Amino acid sequence: MAETIEKNVTENAASEKVLKVSNLSISFGGLKAVDDLSFSIDRGQIYGLIGPNGAGKTTVFNCITQFYKPDEGSILFTAKDGRTHELTRLPAHKVIRLGLVRTFQNTEIIRELSVLDNLLLGAHSQFTSGVVSDMFRMPWARRQEKAMRAQALEVLEYIGLQRLAEESAAAQPYGVLKLIEFGRTLLCNPSLIILDEPAAGLNESETQTLMALIRGVSRDYHCSALVVEHDMRLVMGICDRICAISFGRMLAEGVTSYIQQHPAVQDAYLGKEEA
Amino acid sequence: MDVFQKHVLRNKYLQYLLVGALFLIPVIFPGFSTSFLTLMGGVVYLAIAGTGYNVLLGYSGQISLGHAAFMGLSAYVSAYLTGEMGLPFGLSFLFAVLAPFLVGLLLGAIAVRLQGFYLAIATLGFGEILRLIFIEMDWFTGGFSGSQAKYPMIFGARLTKEQTYIGMVVLMVLLMMLVYHLVNSHTGRALIAMKNSQHAAQAMGISIFKYKLVAFAISSLFAGISGVCYVHFIRYSDPTVWTAMLSLNLIAQVVVGGNGTIGGPIIGALVIRGLPDLLKSTPIIGEIAGIPVLLSGVLMIVVLMFYSKGLIFIPAGIRLALRKHILRREREKGKGA
Repeated sequence: MAETIEKNVTENAASEKVLKVSNLSISFGGLKAVDDLSFSIDRGQIYGLIGPNGAGKTTVFNCITQFYKPDEGSILFTAKDGRTHELTRLPAHKVIRLGLVRTFQNTEIIRELSVLDNLLLGAHSQFTSGVVSDMFRMPWARRQEKAMRAQALEVLEYIGLQRLAEESAAAQPYGVLKLIEFGRTLLCNPSLIILDEPAAGLNESETQTLMALIRGVSRDYHCSALVVEHDMRLVMGICDRICAISFGRMLAEGVTSYIQQHPAVQDAYLGKEEA
Repeated sequence: MDVFQKHVLRNKYLQYLLVGALFLIPVIFPGFSTSFLTLMGGVVYLAIAGTGYNVLLGYSGQISLGHAAFMGLSAYVSAYLTGEMGLPFGLSFLFAVLAPFLVGLLLGAIAVRLQGFYLAIATLGFGEILRLIFIEMDWFTGGFSGSQAKYPMIFGARLTKEQTYIGMVVLMVLLMMLVYHLVNSHTGRALIAMKNSQHAAQAMGISIFKYKLVAFAISSLFAGISGVCYVHFIRYSDPTVWTAMLSLNLIAQVVVGGNGTIGGPIIGALVIRGLPDLLKSTPIIGEIAGIPVLLSGVLMIVVLMFYSKGLIFIPAGIRLALRKHILRREREKGKGA
């Protein structure tokens, strides 16, 4: 494990960027889903990725988290220890160990497990005990489980769900599932959290809670967030910088107020006025 | 009472020990026939294999129709090593269990690329190939005429049938505890996550490759232990035992008992192995050939129709129904007053 990561390290320790996407392209059977896209995220920043339906936002996410392998381009990620890694060389399940974690558009909660166990799943990459020591419940395995459990309970309290800890995840409403999934990302010692439409399907007050949480995360967990969202109020409300894309290409990139005023972005969302 | 309920009745270790104690009734109390003990031995070796198979099917969501052949493999290895080679039982046990473990790892490596029906067919083929090898390699397995084994020899003393049975029950209880530990650890959570959503699992850092291998390896290991138990308890092994039918039995056992529960495979083994024999010994029904097997089949279908989660959930179901009934009663009373 250690060697594979070691191999992917490039000399870029002084960088303040947590994620640097350059010239990213991927196509599916002739259709260019993402076309020469570049952007970068600073440490502690909340970054928004917006665009109309089918613009390729989720594809960008899947490329960053290595669920898809991009055809071209590089994705550099700087972990908390200051080392920079080329993500495209890693399999999907190793990305989280560097501190890059994601949520899913339609929530991927394990319904069979309790709320607490779902959060502990987020800590999977932090566990070091092996299968045999788990089976015999060796002291070190038990200690680790206990420590992680305490940490998960802390996160549950942070997101306001501590009373649901032992409840079945299957019995929870959609808004709670969204929160569980968000909480799950906090247990891997994250540097960057990628949120795929975190507010989809949430009501007004749930969205407000979530906005406060996302804003709080960069402060309390010292990590950045990359957000794809349709709810413009949420995006404009929490993001420091925004990248707007359409048909896989970048329309505009800049601070939030700049994007709000940008004519190309307005065209893409509202349709071009016939002259 | 509350403290008692919380610390004693809910204590999993005590529950498993209690199961073991119940299984020991036929050797502790007199009046049970030898054939009953043979039947119970059959239940125990199936329970051991089922406990491992449950890690594969119930917790990881993978299927295999080749596990019967793994049981056979360890049975033959153990019979050969203790018989022909004269190895001590402990050492031969180790080798006999290691063989299906390694073959299981190999099958797991193949299984990583397959899912659902394809996995079922591939494992079926794998198991059948092993079984054909059992038939062909008659210097090792005795071919069609089978191979003989003796009760285990421990520290120079040959165990009796009863002692062998006790040993099997002890093993069963230990293995239940190990699986209980496993499924309540981060490994267990990873297996369950993999079964429910491979995407979520991968995003959380769970290597699908690693955990499929883990599931196959553990279930094969348990199948191996079960095979050793079989051959040294029945003292005979022939290729007609290790067919895909036995693998199907394992599936039925886990599903009927309770998929993804520790007690499920044990209850399943009792029902699948015990029910036909129980019906056979009842008057009238048992006297017509074929009827006991038919009836147990029908019973199983009925169970699955009304209790698709498995027999182990029946007490919980009854408790829930009772509570609902009491609530309704109270509500009606409230209305009346």
